[in-house]
Amino acid sequence: MSEFDFDDDAKFADDVEFTGEPEVSASGYLDTGLEHVASGDSRPPLAESIAEAKRSTRIDVAQTGFNPALSRMPSIETQTVSLNTVLDFVPSWTARRIPMKCIGLTLPEGIEFLPPKADSTKSSDGVELKRIGPAKKVEEESDGVEKPRKVTRIKPPADALSLQDRLFYLLQPPLESWLAEQELIMPFEPFGYQYEGIAWLFSSHSALLADEMGLGKTMQTITAIRLLLRSGQARRIVLICPKPLIPNWQREFKTWAEELPVVTVEGNGQRRRMLWTMPGIPILIANYESMTRDIADIPEDEQPKFDLLVLDEAQRVKNRESRTAEAARSIKRRRSWALTGTPIENRPEELGALFEFLEVVPKGSCPDLRQLQKLAKKYILRRTKDVVMSDMPPRIDRDAELELTDAQEYAYRTAEKEGIIQLNELGDTITVQHVFELVLRLKQITNYDPFTGESAKLERLLADMEEIGASGGKAILFSQWTKTIDWLAPKLKEFNPLIYHGGVPTKQREPILAKFKEDPNAHILLMSYGTGAVGLNLQFAGYVFLFDRWWNPAIEDQAINRAHRIGVKNPVIVTRFISKNTIEERIDRVLSEKRALFAAILGDGDNNNVSLGLNATEIFGLFDLKARHKGGSKSIGPKPVEPQTDAA
Amino acid sequence: MIRQILPEQFNTSACVPKKDDGMSGAGKSETLRLGFMETMEVDGRGHIGGLLITNQNGRPLEFQCTTPVKPNRTQEILFGETLRSWLLGELIGSTLLDRVAIKPNIIITSDPNLLELRNHTSIPVACAADAKSKLAEQGCTLRIGGSILRFHEGHQLDAESLNKQKHLIPDAADLAEPLERVREALAETVKTVFAR
Repeated sequence: MSEFDFDDDAKFADDVEFTGEPEVSASGYLDTGLEHVASGDSRPPLAESIAEAKRSTRIDVAQTGFNPALSRMPSIETQTVSLNTVLDFVPSWTARRIPMKCIGLTLPEGIEFLPPKADSTKSSDGVELKRIGPAKKVEEESDGVEKPRKVTRIKPPADALSLQDRLFYLLQPPLESWLAEQELIMPFEPFGYQYEGIAWLFSSHSALLADEMGLGKTMQTITAIRLLLRSGQARRIVLICPKPLIPNWQREFKTWAEELPVVTVEGNGQRRRMLWTMPGIPILIANYESMTRDIADIPEDEQPKFDLLVLDEAQRVKNRESRTAEAARSIKRRRSWALTGTPIENRPEELGALFEFLEVVPKGSCPDLRQLQKLAKKYILRRTKDVVMSDMPPRIDRDAELELTDAQEYAYRTAEKEGIIQLNELGDTITVQHVFELVLRLKQITNYDPFTGESAKLERLLADMEEIGASGGKAILFSQWTKTIDWLAPKLKEFNPLIYHGGVPTKQREPILAKFKEDPNAHILLMSYGTGAVGLNLQFAGYVFLFDRWWNPAIEDQAINRAHRIGVKNPVIVTRFISKNTIEERIDRVLSEKRALFAAILGDGDNNNVSLGLNATEIFGLFDLKARHKGGSKSIGPKPVEPQTDAA
Repeated sequence: MIRQILPEQFNTSACVPKKDDGMSGAGKSETLRLGFMETMEVDGRGHIGGLLITNQNGRPLEFQCTTPVKPNRTQEILFGETLRSWLLGELIGSTLLDRVAIKPNIIITSDPNLLELRNHTSIPVACAADAKSKLAEQGCTLRIGGSILRFHEGHQLDAESLNKQKHLIPDAADLAEPLERVREALAETVKTVFAR
């Protein structure tokens, strides 16, 4: 039925007027009889319809006495009901773009590619893009052939809080492919642990790389520096190292990153100051003395600011009160790296001083053992050969405990007895130096008796050398004294000994090492700890003899690592000569006890290389003496008194 | 069908590389910018997408990621099976491509749904698959390094155009590796920002 039709019918119905009595059914419902009225197309005339309605409108009503009222026609009205005629399509829907926000990061190497008038670094609904570092030229690189291998990903540092900073590290490619793409000329493929070290350094603002000697701290540092420079994270870097190691660093930079310009701070004061303050030098190398002197002379407003400060042999700043440590801390820098194979030489407090340099502890704070462990876990990366070089030939340590010869025994006991008497006679005037002199005298006797020349150690050495010489092997012998070395040389004549100690002019040293390497008849190299312990690669020597013991096992380890280092093809046998029932045995015991304490700080894997020295209390304790003070006799606490030797 | 009924509202002009910095690489003929696009679902918040632009050696140049976007119930019903490709490819993909300042020469993804993006941009879009996977056997493909790139079936010429620039990409390049970086970056973003 159409809308129009319906309304028409309603009007028609509205006009209906009933005059007759309505017929009410027994059920009480009104039957109007209009069904037929409203239906059909031909409608009857109105009068007929009314008459018909009267006839059909009949009411059956019970007789209740109200018939007159019932005889009246009921009044019926109709009402127009409006229907909802507009159909609505609900819900309406159109495809709208869902609003999204973007977080963006433009990396330094990408800045070059930005459109000239790019304004997309900032938008109303986008986070402003962060530019990290300056624009940097993207390297044109050739198709290097890369073999599938283990990948080392750079992890964001724990202290990087902003998302952009964290994404910067996360989005870097694996180190292996990154380095392969740089057309790096490398003497050899870095080991996996070295990749990890490089990645760790690259992402660290405060880092103490404390790998055991010989694991390649220098290479890892140089490569990490190279990546920092290439990625635009650093432009100005200063490296501080001991003066004798400057040529070593220059050589290593040339080997690992020959394209990087390295400038050494040297010359007169004016030139040094110019070098310190001249911007645009990517890598500056200076020695500790120069740093301490020059930085103090530069006015505050001209102080250079570096993106990275690297301290090699960082144990130099272990005494936080020293001028060296203060000068190192005063240098303005964004990143601080410290390199040392011996993060603890004597006391845990030394580690605290290193952390202060790294700016991870407040100035002057003294973290306790537990705090040091926590800090070490976060800021120190230390690997030992045992852990990372499982495929490296082992280092076999054997302690040769020797009985003194009769003559040595007599000389030793006499000297000890007289020495202790003399010490006691000194009373309150006794110092650690007095005790120290006695120790040195006794140690010399354990090497050989000065009167008779008898030596249990020499006998053992000759026996071993016969075997080594016969097999064409090579050995390095270390001693604390040049005098001992000079005494030994003629007695080892059949093995063509070569001497390398502080008494040998510098120009003659390199040919000596070359001869030791190339001459098949040169079977033994006699070295002093002071001259031969650092920076030499003698991995072709399969035997190391420690003729006498150094005060500090770290120095011994450095000496041993001349032979037992990367590139060694055969096991290195290390023989430590220890004279039984002598001062050597006592010193060894004290140092062993201290190892256990400090190993806890650097981890269980570090059981061989924690370096420890003797403090004054322990030196006095070697003879059951106590340090004397003006007020009487009392034990000496762990003050930072480091015994100095007269070693070459 | 849906797009025929409903008005097309996306403006894809922004996705077209400009003449001087786009596909031709004029002036820098020896450089190639690769786009690596991935999406991930954030629990209860929808999907986010990330686009990493690198040079041909995988060095990162730019990164963009979206906030989570979640289709409503109506969209789920009306888009039906095409919802995912619309959401990921058309919506998120176009937004990211529009947003990056450094336009890539090719977009690589691991999700076939993102191939839909190719209908809204002139930049080739390819799905990277391991050379041994079955996916690699479908449609028009191009081998680069250890990966097989599969292109949108409606834009098979993309393979030919990329083949001309293929020499710029190192033979040993692993095109799946940067996608892993994007996923890590997205996870980091979710952890850092959206999980708060």
